[in-house]
Amino acid sequence: MILRSIASRLSLWVLAGSALVFVTAGSLLFYRVQAQILQQSHEQATALANEAGNRIEQRLTRVADTTRILATVIGPRPEDAEGMLRDAMTRNTDLAGLAAVFSPEASSAGAPPNAPFVGRQDDGSLASRDMRDDAKPYWETPWFLHGLGCTQGCWQQHFHSQSRHRELINYSAAMSRAGHAVGLVNADVTLDWLRGTLQGLEKPTGAYAFVLDQNGTYLAHDNPAMVGLRGHPALLAAVAQHQASRVRLAAAQNPLAMGKPVWIYFSPIEGTNWRFGLAMPEDLIYAGVRQAFVVAFAAGLLALLALTLVTLVVTRRTMAPLGTLTSSAEQVARGALTFELPPAPRPDEVGRLTEAFDRMRKELALHIAELTRNAREQQRLASELEIAHQIQTSLLPGAHYLDSGCENFELHALLRPARAVGGDLYSYFMLGEQRFCVMVGDVSDKGIAAGLFMARTITLAKSLAAQARTPQQLLSALNRELCRNNESCMFVSLLCGMLNTATGELVMASAGHEPPVLCDASGVHLVELETGAALGLDEDAGYPFRRLYLQPGQTVLMYTDGITEAMNAEQRMYGPERMLSCLAQMPGQGAADLAEGLLAAVDRFAADADQADDITVLALNWHHAIDHRSALVLDLTATATMNDVFDALGRCDASLQARGVASTVREDVRLVLEELMVNMVEHGRTPDAGHTIELHMRMAGDAILIELHHDGRPFDPLQVPSPALTGDIADHDDVGGFGIHLVRAMANDFSYSHDELGNHLQLRFHITHPAGATP
Amino acid sequence: MTLRLHTESSSPIRTTIHLHGRLDALTFTEFDSAAQVAMPHVADGGTMVLDLSSLEYISSAGLRSIAKIRKSMRARNGHTLLLNPQPQVRKVFDIVKAVPVNEVFASTQELDDYLDHIQRQIMEGTGEDD
Repeated sequence: MILRSIASRLSLWVLAGSALVFVTAGSLLFYRVQAQILQQSHEQATALANEAGNRIEQRLTRVADTTRILATVIGPRPEDAEGMLRDAMTRNTDLAGLAAVFSPEASSAGAPPNAPFVGRQDDGSLASRDMRDDAKPYWETPWFLHGLGCTQGCWQQHFHSQSRHRELINYSAAMSRAGHAVGLVNADVTLDWLRGTLQGLEKPTGAYAFVLDQNGTYLAHDNPAMVGLRGHPALLAAVAQHQASRVRLAAAQNPLAMGKPVWIYFSPIEGTNWRFGLAMPEDLIYAGVRQAFVVAFAAGLLALLALTLVTLVVTRRTMAPLGTLTSSAEQVARGALTFELPPAPRPDEVGRLTEAFDRMRKELALHIAELTRNAREQQRLASELEIAHQIQTSLLPGAHYLDSGCENFELHALLRPARAVGGDLYSYFMLGEQRFCVMVGDVSDKGIAAGLFMARTITLAKSLAAQARTPQQLLSALNRELCRNNESCMFVSLLCGMLNTATGELVMASAGHEPPVLCDASGVHLVELETGAALGLDEDAGYPFRRLYLQPGQTVLMYTDGITEAMNAEQRMYGPERMLSCLAQMPGQGAADLAEGLLAAVDRFAADADQADDITVLALNWHHAIDHRSALVLDLTATATMNDVFDALGRCDASLQARGVASTVREDVRLVLEELMVNMVEHGRTPDAGHTIELHMRMAGDAILIELHHDGRPFDPLQVPSPALTGDIADHDDVGGFGIHLVRAMANDFSYSHDELGNHLQLRFHITHPAGATP
Repeated sequence: MTLRLHTESSSPIRTTIHLHGRLDALTFTEFDSAAQVAMPHVADGGTMVLDLSSLEYISSAGLRSIAKIRKSMRARNGHTLLLNPQPQVRKVFDIVKAVPVNEVFASTQELDDYLDHIQRQIMEGTGEDD
């Protein structure tokens, strides 16, 4: 857990690395220093041992010298021996006792001369006795016998003096007379003295000294318990090699050293066969350096801890802004961008990182804000497009239309825009009771502009259609309106048809649009249709028309170039041929099946390719379900004379009466026809025209439908102003307007058109609802 | 069936023209000339009664003829009253608001009462004019 922090890890690694270096270097140094200390200690101890050996040797040499001089001096004069001995004892305090003894055979009297012995009492005073008085004759003792051989003087074996209760060593020097040993001078020194000498040596605390005799026995030792014991075999082996001056014992013999390793330095004591030894416990040698290193190690450890702490603190302080940055980054990751960063403490990497991070945060916030704004904008656009789509869809009438009145025809339309809004349009609506207007169009562009232009076209078409009698008139009027202020030069191709719902007469005019297809049981073919300019381009464009009489079962199919120019993935167009063959495979089908079948075929053809253009299909299927009453009642042509007119009126009346039409309706019809035809006779004629009046009358359902055609001068009764009705016809100077007023009031539906053939009037009278309702 | 006319002039102040058949563009001249003949028999301030009981049909041409008569009578301070118009005729009159409603009478009795009333008004010196 704690190792998750970089500071902790860094500190730990610094600690580990430093400790490794410290321990390695310390150990190396320790062993080097230890070796040097050992060497130094060897030199010092050896020197000390030599010095101590020398000092002992000097004192022993004095003893030996004194003894030898006494031997030389006393030999010739034995009687002065005691005085000289005392004198010598006084001068040399090292001596414990002196004796001058002669062998008995050396004396002429056969008795030994005096054998004085001067001994030092415990209180330091001297005491003398004659050794001849001793219980055991001295000349039989080993020391005497051995001493006689020491003409140059020699140290004897130490012994325990029972009289003096001491361990003693004696030095004997033979007195000779004429090359013959006659006696000897014997000097005693106590081992206590030797030990005191050892103790008096200056040596390091803990070190101890000893003297080995020629047999390898401890003669003297700082530890009195060791005296008399044999030396360690390793020690003795080393001593045997004369050149070795030191040896290391793995375990000290001295119990005081407690079995620890010990170095022993020895040096020979000249004049004797003894060895002086100085024992230095190894611990003692290394004590100083070890203590120093313990201190150094402790200090080093403290320093390491301090270093670790400092590293930890410094790293943590350095990393603290990083911690803040880390939390901030986590906040950023959660999407929160509105926070304040602490100011960058220093312009180092962390400071730069903080600044960069802050900049990044602000940039990110700006960016996100911009993205959000853009997304909102896009959303708004999308929703506006959606609304536009809905509005555009609402401009289109329903996909299916069945002529509810007499079920003469059925219409099915499909429109699929390539984008949300498109430029394709279709529309259909009834014009009056018997004319059905249908149109399919395609605006030049796609998208919003096209959609708006489409909306304009479709609403204009609907409003202008009321005044238009024929598709060509509607196209002309629409063209004029669309040309007005058409700065963007948009245009729309439009195919417009007007169907007489009673007769199946279909008049079509095209403004640069694809020709319609006529399908029936016998086959499928394009309707040859001469087209005018597309709407919106040429204000003066004219539009020719084509008249078809639909037969039962026939279907007129209108479409836009979205069908014929649909592309598949190989960039091939669907084309009119495929369309015709597709339609040919669906003979005798209804409008919905044809339209949907064609669209499905186009979809199959395009497969995965995107729809590039809006697609519209409109199928108009003529059922011809006209009942028996919708037969032609009258079809006559009259010359424009009063007699002929009234003759025609009479025939009309008779025909209607024959069909059972009520007299009230008949009188309305008669009045309207009289007014219109008398008008034509009286006002419509010109010298070379206006002599023929055509009258077609048929009954469809509950209506009488009358068409009047007159080739005279143009006259639109709908445009005649209504007369002011004052309540008394006598108030009027001219009562000419009453006839047209009556016509407008009597006819249930009334329309007028004029073309190159003259005036065309269409009238409609209801049968079931008698005419004459108050206008 | 065309128009037949029958003029009955019972007194200088009241002449009645009976119309039978259709008064249209073909027959109105006939009616016009009959009216021309009858008009002088009516004294100034008299009443011309058009009995429409048997008139089946009227068109704007007939309306013009009636308008002419009304104008002439009005010029002579007289009245033109219509008697018993049939539905079709009445409908045409209604559409063009041809004649004030109080000058159209459903029966001869109504007409007589009206004329008597006027007569009394004139005699009481509170002459009434249109």
